[in-house]
Amino acid sequence: MSEATEELDLLPEIDAKAEAILQRVGLGAQEDRSASAVLVNHDLRVALSEVEGVEIMPIQDALMKYDWVQSLMFNLIKPDENELLRQAAELLNDPIGHFLYVHDGVKLDLPIQSFTLMELPQGRQFTHNITVIGKDAEVEMISGAGVPANVHAGHHVSIEETYVREGARCRSVSIESWGSKMAVESYSRSEIGEGAEMVSNQIMLAPLSNHLSDTKTWIGKDASCSDQATIFAPQDTRRVFENETYLTAPGARSESMARMVSAGGTIINNALLVGQAGDTNGFLGCDGLKLSDEGEILAVPALRAECAASQLSHEASVGMIDAEKLAYLMAAGLSEDRARQLIVQGFLNLRDQYMPEEMREQVTEMIAAAKSGGM
Amino acid sequence: MLELRNVSVSVGDKLILQNVNLTVNAGEVHVLLGPNGSGKSSILAAIMGLPPFEVTEGEILYSGQDIGELDIDERARLGLGLAFQHPPDIDGVTVAEFAAALGAGDTLTAEAEALNMADFPDRDLIVGFSGGEIKRWEVLKLFLQSPDLLLFDEPESGVDLEHIAAVGAAVDRLVSQPAGDGSKRAALLITHTGLILEHVHADHGHIINHGQIIHSGAPHDLFRHIQRSGYVAPASEAIAGETV
Repeated sequence: MSEATEELDLLPEIDAKAEAILQRVGLGAQEDRSASAVLVNHDLRVALSEVEGVEIMPIQDALMKYDWVQSLMFNLIKPDENELLRQAAELLNDPIGHFLYVHDGVKLDLPIQSFTLMELPQGRQFTHNITVIGKDAEVEMISGAGVPANVHAGHHVSIEETYVREGARCRSVSIESWGSKMAVESYSRSEIGEGAEMVSNQIMLAPLSNHLSDTKTWIGKDASCSDQATIFAPQDTRRVFENETYLTAPGARSESMARMVSAGGTIINNALLVGQAGDTNGFLGCDGLKLSDEGEILAVPALRAECAASQLSHEASVGMIDAEKLAYLMAAGLSEDRARQLIVQGFLNLRDQYMPEEMREQVTEMIAAAKSGGM
Repeated sequence: MLELRNVSVSVGDKLILQNVNLTVNAGEVHVLLGPNGSGKSSILAAIMGLPPFEVTEGEILYSGQDIGELDIDERARLGLGLAFQHPPDIDGVTVAEFAAALGAGDTLTAEAEALNMADFPDRDLIVGFSGGEIKRWEVLKLFLQSPDLLLFDEPESGVDLEHIAAVGAAVDRLVSQPAGDGSKRAALLITHTGLILEHVHADHGHIINHGQIIHSGAPHDLFRHIQRSGYVAPASEAIAGETV
């Protein structure tokens, strides 16, 4: 690993050690990306785009450059939603974060990447990002977060406001790997415009102390949103998800799937799907796998139809590893740990999910460590 | 190679097998014939150590070692391999990933072709397999695992005649191959219909009913007897071959 670290030179302004940390959660070289943003501690170290029609810049620069950005900030989320957000919005001076703007009609061959690194033990981070995917644009985004091995504790709060304009297509992958004693609160709000399509995949596997993920998505006329979440909670990890999806206009579609594995940690998944218009269709899926008697999984999918012609459904299950499957694999000569690992990997459906190969290996190791009590 | 001495098996409070004695030597192929619910599959499950079957009396010896207290995977690593009758779906794990976990990726490539399963490595294990595919897969699995003692639980059940020939030929080929150390393999094969006997050379047959082995003899003779008289012990003069 150390040799590879010395050879890395993915982005300007980012040292090799930081690159190595972020590479494990998906960081790639600038030549393989349309644009890059990397926030290190309180500094947007990289905001780089060499593609016409893609702008990425510190949010304070965007507020100066485009007056309409003001109307997008704290538009989908209000500072008075809770005390933490109020403090974050009012007490800090300049907001830290990036503004990403993909102009109308821009279709990108290479993904845009955005990463957050917290290098300071016991550090505090508050970030606010705004993303605008213009009309009929097509974009793939990779984002992630990481910390060095010596950073265990700290507090990270993020706000994301994302606007996917009419007819745009956006696919995003997000991988986080925070410190094991960290508290993380992420507030994400997305508005999916008419005829737009959003596909997102979130991978949350590394241990951390407390994680709150608060997400709201508004899906417009004939727009669709498909999201997958892969969630792992080892011992001493608590993850709480508060997700709300609103099908706001005819033709809106959504499909949401969460796969949750508790290896002694706690996962609480409150998901609400609201049909606000006719000819809408939505599905919520929550599958949980409980590997030990410690911790808990609470899956609460809820449906609210405000219109007669809104088709909403959900499916939830929580169970343990099937003894029959375990016996079958062990009868072929696999150890119990290896057999459990295969079953968990299969349950998480990792194979079909896009993720950097380095992360895939890390995830496999993480699951193996959780089984042997090493985590 | 395998010896069952007065083995009784229960599931919970229910006695499934009673005082079963059976010896399978290296190079031998034994066939267990019995009706549904007779306890055939329970014998294999008990040998392999599968839950919920519990050996309540007697001993199961493998190469002279009492394996009664060993875990399933320990038995497998000693050289036992079981082709399941009803294997569970293992979602999200491909045949190739499973073979890799066994360290048998190369064998998969070679043997999948031979079993007309060349397109299987990317499929999820068992998920969506047809009846015939399950049977071929279970034999292929044993090729990957390369055990010394092969246990087959109804390899022909629910399979059309064409598939029975293919499965039977593969079973026969596997049984005939020497084990990894060059020694002879042995097999214990359960059949409900007896059709697999057309394709597998078996040396010894046993009729099992109501949880007990009630008669042993030449497999084809026993099969003909069962076709005539059902799963009952024949009168000693009614059938050629060995008797218990």
